Amino acid sequence: MNTQRICQLGALVTALACGHAAAATTTDNSNATLIQHGHYAAIAGDCVACHTAPGGKPFAGGLPLPTPIGNIIATNITPSKTAGIGNYTEQQFSDALRRGIRADGAHLYPAMPYPSYAQISDADVQAMYAYFMHAVTPVDVATAPTRLPFPFNIRQSMAVWNLLFVDNKPFTPDPGKSPEWNRGAYLVRGLTHCSDCHSPRNLLMAKQSSRDLAGGELDAWLAPNITSDVNSGIGGWSSQDIVDDLRSGHATGKAQAAGGMAEAIDNSLQHLTSADLLAIATYLKAVPAQHDPADTQPVYSWGAAFDELDSLRGVPLPKDANQMSGAQIYDAYCSTCHQARGQGSFDGGLPSLFHNTATGRSQPGNLVMVILHGIQWQSHGTDVRMPGFAHELSDQQIATLGSWLTRHYGNPSASVSADQVKTLRAGGAPSHLLLITRLAMVVVVLVIIAIIGMLIRRKRRKARSTGHS
Amino acid sequence: MSLQSSADVVVIGSGICGSLAAWRFATQGASVLILEAGPRLDRGRIVAAFRNSTRRGDWMSPYPPSPWAPHPIYKPKDNGYLVQAGPYPYPAEYIRAVGGTTWHWAAQAWRLLPNDLRIKSLYGVGVDWPMTYEELDPWYQEAEEIIGVAGAPNTGSPRSKPFPMEPVAEPWSMRRFRERLAPSYAVVANTVARNSRSYGGRPACVGNNSCQPICPVNAQYTGDNAADAAEAAGAKLVPNAVVYRIEHDAQGRIAAVHYYDPDKTSHRVTGKTFILAANGIESPKLLLLSASSKYPNGLANSSGMVGRHLMDHPSSSLTFYADEELWLGRGPQSPSSINTLRDGAFRSEHAPYRLDFTNISQVYSVTQYLIKEGVYGPEFEKQLRWRAARQVNVKNVLEVLPDPDNRITLSSEKDAMGIPKPEAHYSIGDYTRRAADVSKADFARIAELMGGTGLRYSADGQFANNQHITGTMGMGSDPATSVTDGYGRTHDHENLFICSTGVMPTAATMNSTLTAIALALRTVNHIQPAPAPTSSTTSAAREESHA
Amino acid sequence: MATNPPNDLTTRLYDPADPTRRRLLAGLLTAYTASLIPALAEPAPHADRGAFTALSAILVGRQALDSVQATHLYDALAVNNPYFAADVQALLGLIDRRHIDPMQLQSVLDAEHSPLAPLPRNIVGAWCLGIVGSGEAARCIAFETALNAVMVADVLKPPTYAYGVYGSWASKPV
Repeated sequence: MNTQRICQLGALVTALACGHAAAATTTDNSNATLIQHGHYAAIAGDCVACHTAPGGKPFAGGLPLPTPIGNIIATNITPSKTAGIGNYTEQQFSDALRRGIRADGAHLYPAMPYPSYAQISDADVQAMYAYFMHAVTPVDVATAPTRLPFPFNIRQSMAVWNLLFVDNKPFTPDPGKSPEWNRGAYLVRGLTHCSDCHSPRNLLMAKQSSRDLAGGELDAWLAPNITSDVNSGIGGWSSQDIVDDLRSGHATGKAQAAGGMAEAIDNSLQHLTSADLLAIATYLKAVPAQHDPADTQPVYSWGAAFDELDSLRGVPLPKDANQMSGAQIYDAYCSTCHQARGQGSFDGGLPSLFHNTATGRSQPGNLVMVILHGIQWQSHGTDVRMPGFAHELSDQQIATLGSWLTRHYGNPSASVSADQVKTLRAGGAPSHLLLITRLAMVVVVLVIIAIIGMLIRRKRRKARSTGHS
Repeated sequence: MSLQSSADVVVIGSGICGSLAAWRFATQGASVLILEAGPRLDRGRIVAAFRNSTRRGDWMSPYPPSPWAPHPIYKPKDNGYLVQAGPYPYPAEYIRAVGGTTWHWAAQAWRLLPNDLRIKSLYGVGVDWPMTYEELDPWYQEAEEIIGVAGAPNTGSPRSKPFPMEPVAEPWSMRRFRERLAPSYAVVANTVARNSRSYGGRPACVGNNSCQPICPVNAQYTGDNAADAAEAAGAKLVPNAVVYRIEHDAQGRIAAVHYYDPDKTSHRVTGKTFILAANGIESPKLLLLSASSKYPNGLANSSGMVGRHLMDHPSSSLTFYADEELWLGRGPQSPSSINTLRDGAFRSEHAPYRLDFTNISQVYSVTQYLIKEGVYGPEFEKQLRWRAARQVNVKNVLEVLPDPDNRITLSSEKDAMGIPKPEAHYSIGDYTRRAADVSKADFARIAELMGGTGLRYSADGQFANNQHITGTMGMGSDPATSVTDGYGRTHDHENLFICSTGVMPTAATMNSTLTAIALALRTVNHIQPAPAPTSSTTSAAREESHA
Repeated sequence: MATNPPNDLTTRLYDPADPTRRRLLAGLLTAYTASLIPALAEPAPHADRGAFTALSAILVGRQALDSVQATHLYDALAVNNPYFAADVQALLGLIDRRHIDPMQLQSVLDAEHSPLAPLPRNIVGAWCLGIVGSGEAARCIAFETALNAVMVADVLKPPTYAYGVYGSWASKPV
């Protein structure tokens, strides 16, 4: 590291020394280029998603990230010297980003995806450092400190966790693969950190590397399987489908992004170059397939146009809204945009509900979430792409509607219950991680006490048997 | 659940004016109670009701009246609620429900012209308003930012700040009108409370072409949004509360209002300030109903003007076939109009008018026509397509002058709650009829420019009504000839204010809703001035507060 | 001409692969009446329904009519009208005997003060508007699948249905 730093300084000095007459312009240009490069990398890494609170100043932190063990508050990473990273050296910046260690030596929680960012190249780190130091406005407002419940407030335990679960090695290209695949691998495994949402995690919240990108749960949303599996994943998607989805948030006849993915596309992925998006697509299409046996055909291939209009027209709605049939609810609230047969608008801009992963998955949780919350993009003012119906529809109505949708437009084995809607409406099933960890600790302590007790007894027995002869 | 029986501010009527006034009071810390005669409605159910309706051209078909709070309906037969005294029919349509009549408007949200407020001084007709356009300008702006108005600036109404939104995308049919009518006529995008982008947490228009009777996606602002915002800001809203009497004290200050619930149990509500916002027919009806020994002619009626000077906008029209396929029905219902005939020296002789182009799908009316004409067999589809693609319409929106004989009174007939029904006395004067004749030349010229055939003028002397109920509680500086002052305060009762299209003393040529909202905001500000501007009063925050 | 997206309403009515969606009968059509529609001959289960469907096809000028819709409309038209089936047969017979062109039919019936004069209007109103009866007795049977909506479905959505994403109506209709 020190050698590298000296080399960098040397390079800078050399650059300054050479071309003296045009030095100022060259340095400005190369600085500007470096900063622009760093800006792009920061977009790819989607730093704003966590480090900018809604309505807050860019990168000033303060956003609480809900985790099963409590809220982790994202920090101020503006170059403020009092409240941010203004005093960080490039090494310290790199350590925080790639090793999860702050300037004061404390560990960061892996809500900061440093295990993924470990793959980021030195060149990108250097550029990002330049961007954050020179192009981001300092905000001298400190964020609230993160206070997690015992034992998770002991940051030092992260060292053990890192040892067990984190591979710190930076990305090395695979010479047997194309440059495009390598670029895609670098992005996906590193900056765009897709596996942080899309990979399943073990009990201690570490990613299961053997099931990379097979799908992950985030509170109430499911980040789906994006491996090359033809049924469960995106194996049947063309590269263009993937690029379309990452740029515009939907792929016709396949899927559309909602929840956290809509946010990721809005803030980050839609701004990547076409070449980078194609690289990501190339890499994803080669990720080893992970198959869920529940998916007996591609999740986007279910359903067909359908209506029950003959039974609806001229029939008054029941007074009790919870007695409305699925077809009646669809007619009143959904068919306006998704059309009478679920086929979507002429140009596909208002999507079809069949041949759509929204209705085709064997787990319909995301369907319920979209009905509740709609789809809104936020980066240029609120863009309501689909309104939510949490206010208009009861748990029972959403259950009736959801089951009707999956039966006729999607996977008929996926049905929705009112209890499920109630849970999702409240933000998902509560995690027991805290309870389990504390129980485990109690067990460990009891075991240690028992072992010590055993040892003491043995010692006493020995003393008795030897000490009185 | 205990019913609230007292509040700082009591608002009668939860339509767009009443609800926005309530919202403004509530955000400024007042306790507010809104009493609404009708029920709460659900947008999805209205959509389903319309699709299941047997009367697709009847905008009231998805809004059946409640027995305890009836509103007028005319199909399949007249329910006789708005008694017609003549000589000319006044078949007003309105909705008594939470959110009021803007559930089914076309979201036309126009400003007046500066001269509209001075037609007496300028042209010797009508009356002058007790304020200038310049005084109204900032309130117009605020109203536009609250409800989200999209428009083009070249309509004759000056403005100091831009619209909150760009004009709504122009349908192909309207573009062809604009291109072919130039330079004889300037066709411009209408000023509408319709989203050309997401605004206020509501999506942009997706072209349902059913603005009337219902916008299924809430891309156009409705009184329901205002009622939601008022409740979110802390106002209490009691639906199914039919106010039947306003009670005053010995000094003439309003002390309380009395309302029936659907079981006809009477409730009394007290307050400090009272806002009457029950539309231009129900409000004067209530004032007249509240007659007492001290006020034998009804409340706020020392001038005798309550209910008088009833005005609306009559329309006559021309329907014809253009010589190219335009296919009305793609996009919003009322996208474009001609605004250059709204003012001029001629106003001393005949009424000004706006010329409106409709974009309402012609399929339903053509189908009815073909069936009536006995067009059967393969010809039916051919003709349906040919006519639906080419049939277009231009109509005028005519000013009527305030005439004291045009008025709302109490009928001797009573509704199901035993409350006297409103009675309409209406006629359309020569000032307006002369303008209808003049406009036929414009109609003919427009048809000519569009290669029109099959010209069908509406019958002479027969006018369609536009449901812009104005004049019945007119503003003015002279208590002898007006019901309220320029701030909507009734001359007779210092704590009774009116927020309604009914306070407009002249009708001009524009749909009255935006003006009524601007006046309502100005009235609230007069009663309880807003605190000094902070970031929370920026337009973005206003937009968000209505999300 | 627009390419219809698959699975739209027109496909639902005209799917040539689905035999249940074609209901015309050889038995009730003569050479003349068959000539009024591109004929497809299949026996129908119910002579009454068959006659109704044949007459409907002549009046609305379409060879393929949805059988479920036909049943609903028939039931709605026949309720409270015990003569309906007989009237339908009579009108079909009349058209055939006198070789009446559909475009002349109403004026012929009106001129002759025929008791069958209201019948074509009722049937066409049912198919093309989806409405049976009038005034307070009117009933809605169809809206999106009423033929007037189907006949323009390549260009227009029925009112209340979204045309498409914001701005999509600015383009020239195909």
